[in-house]
Amino acid sequence: MTDSVATATAADVIDMAAQRQSPLLQVENLSIRFDGAPLGINVVDNVSFSVAKGKTLCIVGESGCGKSVTALSLMGLLPTPPARIVGGTANFGGRDLFSLSERERADMRGNQTAMIFQEPMTSLNPAFTVGDQIIEGILRHRRISKAEAKERALEMLRRVRIPAPEKRMRAYPHEMSGGMRQRIMIAMALANEPQLLIADEPTTALDVTIQAQIISLIRRLQDESGMAMILITHDLGVVAEVADEVVVMYAGRIVEAGSVDAIFEDPQHPYTIGLMGSVPSLGRRQGRLATIRGTVPSAEMMPKGCRFMPRCPFADERCVNDAPPLAELEPGHWARCWYAPLELHRGGIV
Amino acid sequence: MTAVAPDPILEGIDLVKRFGGGGLLASPTIVHAVDSVSLSIRRGETFAIVGESGCGKSTLGRLLLRLIEPTAGDIRYEGRSILSLDPKEMRQLRRELQIIFQDPFASLNPRMTVGDIIGEPIWLHGLAKGSERRERIAELLRTVGLLPAHVDRYPHEFSGGQRQRIGVARALAGEPKLIIGDEPVSALDVSIQAQIINLLEDLKERFGLTLVIIAHDLAVIRHMSDRVAVMYLGEIVEFSTTDELFDNPLHPYTQALLTAIPVPSPVNRSPKPLLQGDVPSPTAPPSGCRFHTRCPHARPICKEQHPSLETAGDGRKVACHFWREIQNAGASALSASPQSAALAKRMALYTSWRERQDQVTNPSRK
Repeated sequence: MTDSVATATAADVIDMAAQRQSPLLQVENLSIRFDGAPLGINVVDNVSFSVAKGKTLCIVGESGCGKSVTALSLMGLLPTPPARIVGGTANFGGRDLFSLSERERADMRGNQTAMIFQEPMTSLNPAFTVGDQIIEGILRHRRISKAEAKERALEMLRRVRIPAPEKRMRAYPHEMSGGMRQRIMIAMALANEPQLLIADEPTTALDVTIQAQIISLIRRLQDESGMAMILITHDLGVVAEVADEVVVMYAGRIVEAGSVDAIFEDPQHPYTIGLMGSVPSLGRRQGRLATIRGTVPSAEMMPKGCRFMPRCPFADERCVNDAPPLAELEPGHWARCWYAPLELHRGGIV
Repeated sequence: MTAVAPDPILEGIDLVKRFGGGGLLASPTIVHAVDSVSLSIRRGETFAIVGESGCGKSTLGRLLLRLIEPTAGDIRYEGRSILSLDPKEMRQLRRELQIIFQDPFASLNPRMTVGDIIGEPIWLHGLAKGSERRERIAELLRTVGLLPAHVDRYPHEFSGGQRQRIGVARALAGEPKLIIGDEPVSALDVSIQAQIINLLEDLKERFGLTLVIIAHDLAVIRHMSDRVAVMYLGEIVEFSTTDELFDNPLHPYTQALLTAIPVPSPVNRSPKPLLQGDVPSPTAPPSGCRFHTRCPHARPICKEQHPSLETAGDGRKVACHFWREIQNAGASALSASPQSAALAKRMALYTSWRERQDQVTNPSRK
């Protein structure tokens, strides 16, 4: 018994190591700029991360941190102009996504890569039945008959647990609730068995009981298909439930990255800590919330040193003048702060 | 969180609100938005109304301020009915009863300066004139953490959090006794949410306000409120002090709501029992217990007989035929997983440096 457990663990370790060596998607030094922004101020600045097959990477951050722009760039959906990729590569299965032609990107979208958005109503066409929309997506990428595509669409509706799928095939988006529409979007996104799913705030517009249904659905489908997922969210609760790896973004830069356990149990960056303190606990009340002062700086006001400096309680002259590097504190756990770990540099009597 | 003497400031008695089904041109479908809701809000407390979309919580909030007229029932403010007041008397009263809305982008007039927005109630109620009024506006701006210099700017020049502060300043301008916040923080980023929550709590303390918070976020409610009413399809299904509700939820819907919250800790990732299906339409609420179509404990009687809101000891009320059995069925209370040692240590460090940050710089800008 003991032996087999030990063997399994060893095999897992080797498996994990193999996956770490060859991730499905590897983004390196991605920088995106908006036309008209001050010189050198990128909305996404030197961002690198990777996601392995079957794993979930969560990108966390607040409005304006660059998380959605990053996702759109990976899908080839960046509105250009005003947004432009000014540097970096995204290696997906041996090819750089950013050097593909428009046509190649279109062939890939909804096929090897797929995306779901926050508000399903705006991503569905109100003039067509949901069945037609799913079938269209299948026929765009597969050489099969319409009848086969319809069968495939029905199967997808069953997989996302839509009640009475035959009837629902003929329904229009407005005839469905928000939760049902999000299920339709997921069915559509997964119809061609993508290797990578990007989900941008997929449950933010939903009620809490429906959110729980959708999260459990996404996790089950991921287990079944082994696809990789990038989930973009502002909700630390959702991150804790689904993430394997976490990237915390602030004002266009990664400020912390690591495994989900590292981020929640050993958070290093003052922004990550402040964010956790800002969320009310579900346990008994423990006094006032810890807050982060002020708001995210606009592009014009972006500090030249650490971008979190104006809001950071720990900041000093060094942070004003020099941007800290993203440093590896523990294997696989990175933070962009001169003073991490804080207890070492800021642990003295205040 | 102190014990409050039961001194009702605002009461709703058997409130009913239906929309539609009126005259020739009205929609023939009737929406049962609020159905036989009675509640009593005590002076000085923070009272929360929680529920999902379409449960009638916002309608109830508007009824309590008589922003819309109830179909039936009564609203009492400081012991007297406000339904019989004429428009002029009602306007007088509005000074004392204020509301903050969810969307700070939609609830401020884009053509008015911040000074005009905040100054309007002062002018309307004749509270101050001329330089005294200007001084009052500047004071209100400082109170909510903005600068007096912001007085001539327009709402679009501010971020979401700052706009919500403007909304709060406007609500405070008439020197109210009670403020209803209808999802006051749900449109804001997490770090800004925390700022506004702390601001509302500080103001409540400073001005002796009564707060009614309408929200869907249970963590916000647990943090802010003393007592909670849980609504489902237009009805109150459970009524409790906040700690008891979270420690021992009685109604199966409350239990489901608490189970569904994603807990911000990766330690216990076990699959949870989830509520199936969607909320039925309030145009055709289910017979009997309105929750029976989704309830994991439903039995035949639940489909036929409407459960009354019965007392469940110590000021608690619950509308469920089987709450006693369900309670013993071992529905787990919500437990917050403890912080790791490293997080606790750094959080304490963060908090103390954060306090110093406020002291060193302008103390009014929190």
